[in-house]
Amino acid sequence: MSDIPTIAEAARLIAAKKLSPVELTHACLDRVRELNGELHAFVLVTEERALADARAAEAAVMAGKAVGPLCGVPIGLKDIVDTKGITTTCHSRILRDNVPDTDATCAVKLAGAGSVLMGKTATHEFADGGPSFDLPWPPARNPWDTAHFTAGSSSGTGAGVAAGLILGGIGTDTGGSIRGPAALCGIAGIKPTYGLVSRAGVAPAAFTLDHIGPMAWTAEDCALMLQALAGPDPRDPASASRPIPDYTAQLGTGIKGMRIGVIRHFHEVDHEVSAATQRGIDGAIATFRGLGAEVSEVSLSPLAEWHACGTLISLTERAAAYDEWARTRLGDFGARVQQRLLLGAMVSGVDYVQAVRRRRELRAELKAAMAALDVVLTAAQPSEAPKIDEVPEWDIGQKPSFTMPFNVAGYPAMSICSGFGEGGLPVAIQLVGKPFQEATVFRVADAFEKATAFRDRRPALLSALVAAQ
Amino acid sequence: MPELDDATLDFLLVRAGVSPTYEQRAGLKAAYAHVAMMAERVRKPRGRMAEPVLTYGFAEEDLR
Repeated sequence: MSDIPTIAEAARLIAAKKLSPVELTHACLDRVRELNGELHAFVLVTEERALADARAAEAAVMAGKAVGPLCGVPIGLKDIVDTKGITTTCHSRILRDNVPDTDATCAVKLAGAGSVLMGKTATHEFADGGPSFDLPWPPARNPWDTAHFTAGSSSGTGAGVAAGLILGGIGTDTGGSIRGPAALCGIAGIKPTYGLVSRAGVAPAAFTLDHIGPMAWTAEDCALMLQALAGPDPRDPASASRPIPDYTAQLGTGIKGMRIGVIRHFHEVDHEVSAATQRGIDGAIATFRGLGAEVSEVSLSPLAEWHACGTLISLTERAAAYDEWARTRLGDFGARVQQRLLLGAMVSGVDYVQAVRRRRELRAELKAAMAALDVVLTAAQPSEAPKIDEVPEWDIGQKPSFTMPFNVAGYPAMSICSGFGEGGLPVAIQLVGKPFQEATVFRVADAFEKATAFRDRRPALLSALVAAQ
Repeated sequence: MPELDDATLDFLLVRAGVSPTYEQRAGLKAAYAHVAMMAERVRKPRGRMAEPVLTYGFAEEDLR
């Protein structure tokens, strides 16, 4: 076990009474005290709640009660997730004093699994825009180099997991907000199939593109978290009523004979990635072949087609969700969100519906392309993390996103670390499965992580801290 | 794509009920050209019978 356990390692030790949830929580709180001032991963640390949760978990273990793998595990919730009696700001001055009177369903499920709530993690304002310096809280910083961006919008969860402030956390993903921070922070994060995890009690970004999912150090940890999170919820009108499999059952069974399609034109033609990202992709393909998978090339509509479809839907649904505040409190939003809300309000109804019609065609295209495949692979981000003060103002004309296609399609998509590039910053690959086939994505991701050494390396600031303790 | 003229921008903003600053208006005029290009991308010859995607969930046919 490394100095900071994975969720799976902690679960085994806690169940065997070899690791105290209270001591584990204290260790995480110590790291929060040391590092959060630099990382800004949390907008609110709920220390009392964390220690109460940890003591309850420890009591359950010591009483010999059957506990699940999240019992006593410190986690964070992105601060767009409602928490009863705990401030939920959406990282916005509009809601800086907002204290919900109910928990989001994902918060209920994680609490019910015995996890320890460490606090609310930084996000971009209402999971949009960012990094912004005109909000009540600063943006999160990348633990691998704090001069660099985490990506967003689940930025605090990404930074917190990478730095060992938490072992896992909740992210949300409307166009890549789980997979982006997972990629740039060198961790694992999955956007599950649309409808698999309830959105109830989570601030919307774009209703039909929004997904809730886990972020953690490894694919196995994400599987353990998803096990607790997945399932139908009458509070979410899009919730899917599907059988929930054992997401860890296939881990370690190998990937010999599995069929992996590479959407090469996405990252080599449509949006050319950095040299290190390309090396990570090439290395992953070689690893998968070495493990016995069959790797082939697959072609889809150009990335810009998916991006246009998703962006029109996202802009418009977001503008609809925040229409009242855009009309009456526009100046209370940060500059980046103001710009997007204004632009979204100008999209015509016809353009929106054409985008939703295009979405059906694109989803059918992906389904056909994956018919003879188990997963597809492409980049998760174009490069290593840029410097945070060099992230350009939002530009709608920017190069298309690698993650948006799978929000458009609703398919499960995961980012995992595939190496390190310039300045030791992580790079990542994205693995995409068929609807409700998260277990297959985990199987492939887990095989890759265990065949490579990228999970053995933590950010230098953390190594220095652990050595000093 | 020609840049949005002031009269059209005014119409869109009044319809939306939003009141941007002068600087934001300039940004919107430039950005709207990209929205128009994206709208053009999703406007395909598909005929009147083509339905939107079922956004709230997958149909069984999607899962086969």
